[in-house]
Amino acid sequence: MISFKLVRRNLTKHKMRSALTIASLMVGVFLLCVLKSMVVALESGVAGAKRDRLVVQSAASLFIGLPLPYQQRIAEVPGVQKTCKWCWFGGYFREPKNFLGAFATDSDTIFDVYPEMEVIDGSIDDWRKDRSGCLIGDLLAQQFDWKVGQTIPIISANYLPPSGDAWQFTVRAIYKSESSAVDRRTFFFNWDYFQESFEKVMKRTPDTSTIVMRTKPGADQNEIMRTVEGFYENGPQRVQCTTEAAFQAQFLTMMGNVPFLVTSIGSGVLVAIALACVNTMLMAFRDQAHDVGIMKALGFTDGGVSGFMLGQSMLLCIVGGGLGILLVKGLEPAFMAFLGSVFPGYAVTGRTLAVAALVTVAIGLVAGVVPAIAARRLRCVEALRSVE
Amino acid sequence: MNDAMIRARGVKKTYTRAGETLTVLDGLDLEMEEGHFYALMGPSGSGKTTLLNLVGGLDAADEGELIVAGESLADLSGSELAAWRAANVGFVFQAFNLIPVLTAVENVELPLLLSPLSRAKRREHAMYALTLVGLEDRAKHRPQQLSGGQEQRVAIARAIATDPKLILADEPTGDLDRKSAEQVLDLLVRLNGELKKTILMVTHDPHAAERAQRIVHLDKGQLGRVETRAAAAT
Repeated sequence: MISFKLVRRNLTKHKMRSALTIASLMVGVFLLCVLKSMVVALESGVAGAKRDRLVVQSAASLFIGLPLPYQQRIAEVPGVQKTCKWCWFGGYFREPKNFLGAFATDSDTIFDVYPEMEVIDGSIDDWRKDRSGCLIGDLLAQQFDWKVGQTIPIISANYLPPSGDAWQFTVRAIYKSESSAVDRRTFFFNWDYFQESFEKVMKRTPDTSTIVMRTKPGADQNEIMRTVEGFYENGPQRVQCTTEAAFQAQFLTMMGNVPFLVTSIGSGVLVAIALACVNTMLMAFRDQAHDVGIMKALGFTDGGVSGFMLGQSMLLCIVGGGLGILLVKGLEPAFMAFLGSVFPGYAVTGRTLAVAALVTVAIGLVAGVVPAIAARRLRCVEALRSVE
Repeated sequence: MNDAMIRARGVKKTYTRAGETLTVLDGLDLEMEEGHFYALMGPSGSGKTTLLNLVGGLDAADEGELIVAGESLADLSGSELAAWRAANVGFVFQAFNLIPVLTAVENVELPLLLSPLSRAKRREHAMYALTLVGLEDRAKHRPQQLSGGQEQRVAIARAIATDPKLILADEPTGDLDRKSAEQVLDLLVRLNGELKKTILMVTHDPHAAERAQRIVHLDKGQLGRVETRAAAAT
């Protein structure tokens, strides 16, 4: 279509100017998507939290452990179906930069509490039978190319190993999960092995960081939370019992207003880029005012020439924004690998892409509206009098 | 007796420049018949281009009545005026005014975008107009790849692409060498003689004006003498 050709050729008339504007839009939309995906990753734990899971932790701090006998008492509360312990182990593989989210847990109940976890390689039974066996997320396995049967040396800053310099674990199962409540980069190992090793070195029973419970269908969760907190109101260690969503939300709170900050930075970048686009389109209008006058003389209406300017702005932004969207989607696997340990659950969602597309269109409209109005108001006689 | 293509009654047009009001057309009465080739002459500032702009609906008169191709232009809204221009008037400018990013055939096709013609028909019409001006072999050239005379012939092809009744030419030979100017004038005479287009051409050049059937003189915004020639010189 010649009208589209006219729009396109006017944009390619100043190749460098258009290319720079498109590149800035591409980078801006790319950044917006990456930052938004980070925020989504931060909030994914809250979003994916299950309603039938409650988490018990120390009322003082997550870093203060809970005595082991608490688990048995909590498991007996009416409405509680299953419980499992999570004890923060930390540790790294070979060097500190390969830091792991490692936990000692109850291998016999974890799949009851987290039914959305699915073993995709190895078996649950093999893991349960092997005291030094471990269960790892599929993304963690991919990251280090770990296979079932492989022995993994893990060094922990918190806990001394039963022998030698490192803890030795054998991969017995690999899990994955579609739920964002489950991090696919976690390293689980048997509580019994941990307890035995801990007692050997420390000469005392270890505490656990949290106790997670799955409630029975129809159970009164408020009542369960009140009961559990009531057990230990007077010590020895006061507890806080919350829903899984509230538990996950505290990590966001710990980061302060990071999501807001990240969103603000992304928005600021886009506003700057929108202003650059407005400037580009104003320059384009100045270049093309004479052409607009010719078109009006030929019979194009005010609306027609407005659309001509707006069309250029939209095309410019759609190309730039579209490239940004393609880039962020194309680099998604690389970013998942690169940011996965800090932002587990990093993924460019359809919603993020839709927001990026909307922002692109909005910038196109904002950048095009001023030249479109100017083109509409331009007096034909004055435009023709001007010399290019 | 031919019908009037252009009828002006008491047309007045003033401009304000730096706080000073300048009367360019001062109650102009004028009648131009359909199918004739008119040359509009007069000294600088006499109102020639202003009259051309008013007749073409590019500008509006302050007072008076102006009827062109049967329409009272003052009664038309902006969009109606644009549609009227697209259907009835072809413009040829001194500076050619081709769109630089479009090829010759695309420039000629541009006004046809406003017609209901299909894409193929539009291209066919545009090529026919280019053939009439002898530039069918330059169809794919951009304006900067054409000589001044060729550019002006493309502009004429664009002016006739929609088959308008009236062609308004503002100093069409002003930027051309003698040979190219003659070619353009020959073309205008042909359009008038063979296609019966009414042509109103503003010019300073007496030689160019001689090619018209009638020479209308404007002086200080008012109609001066009208010279009638037997027939357009070919």
